[in-house]
Amino acid sequence: MSAILLDALRYLGYILIFPGFLFCFLTGLLLCGIDRKLVARMQKRVGPPILQPFYDFFKLCGKETIVPATVTSKTVFLLAPLVGLASLVVLQLFIPIFSFRAFGAVADVIVILYLLLIPAVSVIMGGSVTGSPYAGVGLSREMVTILACELPLVLVLLSVAKTVGNALDTGLCFSLTQIAAFQAKYGSLILRPSMIPAAIAFLLIIPGETGNHPFDAAEAETEICEGMLAEYSGAPLGVYKLNHAVKMLTMTSLFIALFFGGIGTGIEQLAAAMGLTGGAAGMVVILLDVLVMFLLCVLTTAVGISFVHAVTARLKIEQIFKYYWTVVSGLALISLVLSWYGF
Amino acid sequence: MSTEFVRHFPIFAIMLYFLGAFLIVMLGKVRALRHGIAFVATAGPLALLIALVKPIMIDGGIIAYWMGNRVPAGGYAIGIALEVDALGLFFGLLIATAVFVSCLYSFRYMERDDNVPQYYTLFLMLAGGVMGLVLSGDLFNMFIMVEILTFAAVALTAFRNRANGALEAAFKYLVVGCMGSTCILAGTILLYAQARTLNFAQLSALIPGNLGTSTKLAFALLFIGFSTKAFIVPFHPLAADAHGAAPASISVLISGVLTKSGIYGLIRLTYFLFQTMELGTMQFWLVFLGSVSMFVCVTMALAQHDFKRLLAFHSISQIGYVLTAVGLATGLGVSAGLYHAMNHTLFKGLLFLAAGAVLHETGTTDLNRLGGLAKKMPHTTALFLIGAASISGIPPFNGFASKWMIYQAAYQKAAETGNIGFALVTIIALVTSTLTLASFVKVSQSVFFGRLPKEYEKVQEVPFGMRFAMGILALLCILTGLFPGLVTKYLTEPAARAVFSVGTYINSMMGEGTIILQNPVVNFAQAGVWSPINWLFLLIIALLAITIVAISGKYDRVREMNAEKPEGKYDLFFGGEESVYSQVGGEDLFWGFKHNWRHYFGFMHELHSGVVNDYALWAVVALALAIVYATIVL
Amino acid sequence: MIVFNYIASFFLIVLGFYCIVVKYNLVKTVIGLSIADYGVNLLIITIGFNPGGTAPIFTPGELTQASYFVDPIPQALTLTSIVIGACVTAMSLALVIKLKESYGTLDTREIRRLRG
Repeated sequence: MSAILLDALRYLGYILIFPGFLFCFLTGLLLCGIDRKLVARMQKRVGPPILQPFYDFFKLCGKETIVPATVTSKTVFLLAPLVGLASLVVLQLFIPIFSFRAFGAVADVIVILYLLLIPAVSVIMGGSVTGSPYAGVGLSREMVTILACELPLVLVLLSVAKTVGNALDTGLCFSLTQIAAFQAKYGSLILRPSMIPAAIAFLLIIPGETGNHPFDAAEAETEICEGMLAEYSGAPLGVYKLNHAVKMLTMTSLFIALFFGGIGTGIEQLAAAMGLTGGAAGMVVILLDVLVMFLLCVLTTAVGISFVHAVTARLKIEQIFKYYWTVVSGLALISLVLSWYGF
Repeated sequence: MSTEFVRHFPIFAIMLYFLGAFLIVMLGKVRALRHGIAFVATAGPLALLIALVKPIMIDGGIIAYWMGNRVPAGGYAIGIALEVDALGLFFGLLIATAVFVSCLYSFRYMERDDNVPQYYTLFLMLAGGVMGLVLSGDLFNMFIMVEILTFAAVALTAFRNRANGALEAAFKYLVVGCMGSTCILAGTILLYAQARTLNFAQLSALIPGNLGTSTKLAFALLFIGFSTKAFIVPFHPLAADAHGAAPASISVLISGVLTKSGIYGLIRLTYFLFQTMELGTMQFWLVFLGSVSMFVCVTMALAQHDFKRLLAFHSISQIGYVLTAVGLATGLGVSAGLYHAMNHTLFKGLLFLAAGAVLHETGTTDLNRLGGLAKKMPHTTALFLIGAASISGIPPFNGFASKWMIYQAAYQKAAETGNIGFALVTIIALVTSTLTLASFVKVSQSVFFGRLPKEYEKVQEVPFGMRFAMGILALLCILTGLFPGLVTKYLTEPAARAVFSVGTYINSMMGEGTIILQNPVVNFAQAGVWSPINWLFLLIIALLAITIVAISGKYDRVREMNAEKPEGKYDLFFGGEESVYSQVGGEDLFWGFKHNWRHYFGFMHELHSGVVNDYALWAVVALALAIVYATIVL
Repeated sequence: MIVFNYIASFFLIVLGFYCIVVKYNLVKTVIGLSIADYGVNLLIITIGFNPGGTAPIFTPGELTQASYFVDPIPQALTLTSIVIGACVTAMSLALVIKLKESYGTLDTREIRRLRG
């Protein structure tokens, strides 16, 4: 009985603190702050303090929430941001942090693919119930952006599944846990030539999925007043901002987990070299894992989001679609074909 | 219950429908009597078939029932037979459920129509026809049942003949449907010419060894015949027309039941009668047709601006998934296909009923004229959202469970055969799923959310009877999504095993030892492995935790408008202009997508010309291709 | 010559389908359906026919090894098929009348409100 209770407490800890809600909250917003600072520095501006997203969030939470008179369903209006956040937190639980995995076995590449849709759908639903024409335009663009990203994302994930499956001799492997275990054993996937186009494609998908700069037609502040968020205010808006930040964390850490999983072995060796044993070693390894993961996420953000943000102008929605379905999908397809024939 | 007693259940299940139809003709003038008869006639078969689950699904029995006890003599099946194996029962259960729910819904939905007794008569004829088709063990009887169901479906499509396009849709359906039926009859009789029997089991035993040119021709004819019933490409425009025009309760039957009868026919044809599924080319043919159906129809759906027409195209798109999965010819694939067929009946039924509810209250299904109904019809909206989430494959609803299996099966097949084509199928399936989501976002934006037009201020929630029918389907959608392990274990896996057990099927019909066919070893690993319970548990806890945190942080400190003193800040933001009614119409959504695909959409729009001659031409071309294919491949 | 029957029946089926495809008049479409149906009926009878056979009518005891009659099953099938064909014609003509009332034309090219 006490074992079950302990397990329950442990899982609750996973969900609420690490790698769940609290962890997502802190690292996500921090990542967002770093991104803003980086973009500013690249554009020769001073930029906001790194903790600015935290200030923004708490400020929004203190504001009153106005529900417009035209809102057709108040429940959906208020619940949509929370559902999005919850599904992002759950998604984060499934992404292995090198050797540390909160939940194994059930994690599945296809589940991830669909879980990534839920936050987007919830923001669409939230915008849709307001009846605002800006939200209408915004959700139309958001959906097209999702469609645009879906094809290359599918191709990337399938080529990863195929590569790992080839090596494991099972033909295919849809389990993230196995993908992580495979990389721990045989080195990162990025080291395989066939995976390099896929990794580049994934890097290009990240800003699209998170709705960051050149691909932010759906939120275009200067044009359609943040689209689906036009009618949101107060705490729900804060949660949306948080969702955006957490999604950056999710996408970047997924990128690391898929392509740089081999680094975890290095960390374990490092801990072993330091002569640590027993429980202390486990803790140190996890801490190091998280630290390295976060640093890599920052690096990925810097390359994949901030740099792209700093040097490009916003694309039109039909350009976004075309870009993803031709250039990025083409890259991913090269990877799939290469991995299919065993390179 | 002894098996001796249970043996009579299938014929009773069929006869109850026809008896009900007959009684309603005589006694249907009285409303209470009519409803009573219809209820008994639809609930009865469902109960009878559920009673068969234990002996057939779980114990693995097969019921061979000879009318008038004319058992085969001298190795020849003379009598007319019913044969119920797990596959037939599986489809029978789907049909009985859909018919029952649709009947419950009709009680209130059809109130305002005239000639209601005729409606129920045709309704029960349709149900009886489909039930007879799936439980029959005789090829000619299958043809008769196909004719009965086509007839009833055509008449019901034209039932509201003042509705826009109902007559037109019925006529088109009749022409192409009858071409299909003619093909089935011609195919049947060609098989008879070769084997001198019409019994399904005996034919299955005789044909594979005696493939001549005329049997190949018969295969092509039967294949096209059943394809018209399943409405796969190139017969999809008929489905769209018929669904759009028919009353919603009939759309449920057309999409949930009629298309299933076509799929059933195709499975029987390819796995039993000709046993062609070992041929790689045959698998390719089915998977190709399925993938084309799913992609073409989903893109067609995106271009629609009528609620029911949009749903109709989605219906065929989902049938494409089923056909693809069945065509993979692996244990997981067939199991996934049947699972998806079941889910398709449930969620598509739910969506059509929701569309019917909207039509019932507002009098239109035009996406460009509707909006904001969530305020007036909250329950319908919630039920619709469940259906939409199911069909788009959002976990944990049932669409996800079956689609996951289909992806897994397709990719596994690709990995096993090393054929990159099957990987392409996986990609198409995944992208189609997202496109499906997109078009349901469109529906929810332009019907239930968005802004409420002035003319619908007085709209009310639909009567309880209709919501109850929708509620049943919604509940089933959730349950089948939450427990994929149980569903695969007790429903789809026995049915999928039956698909691979031709030998058992023939022997239990014609007597032991008629044929010695080793049932292939089928791998069901991975089927129903993914359990959403853990995942859902996590999501719920996370959601609860976040909600509690949010509420303790005064998240719900909402200021609402005071009705007496409306303030400007509760108006919509219009960039400083005065707030006016404006709604982004259904057709204008996803412009970025449509713009890139404009040539494709333009081409498709031209192609679906609405002229019945064109559709007939497609049917003839498909027949010609099928004949060429069959003579080359078989 | 029985082979002419086969040729004729397939000719009728093809003719019927051809008629459905190329004729723009609703009534002609219905006629096309009927022709295809007759073709199938002819096919069924031909399959059941044995040259020189008698009608398959006999009383118990009359049936011997030497009895030679045509196959009765296709004849039963033909009857069913004819009935169904008549129903199809009736139903489609009823629809044609209604269509003429509401569209004011019998031209299939103008009966295309549902398209795209």
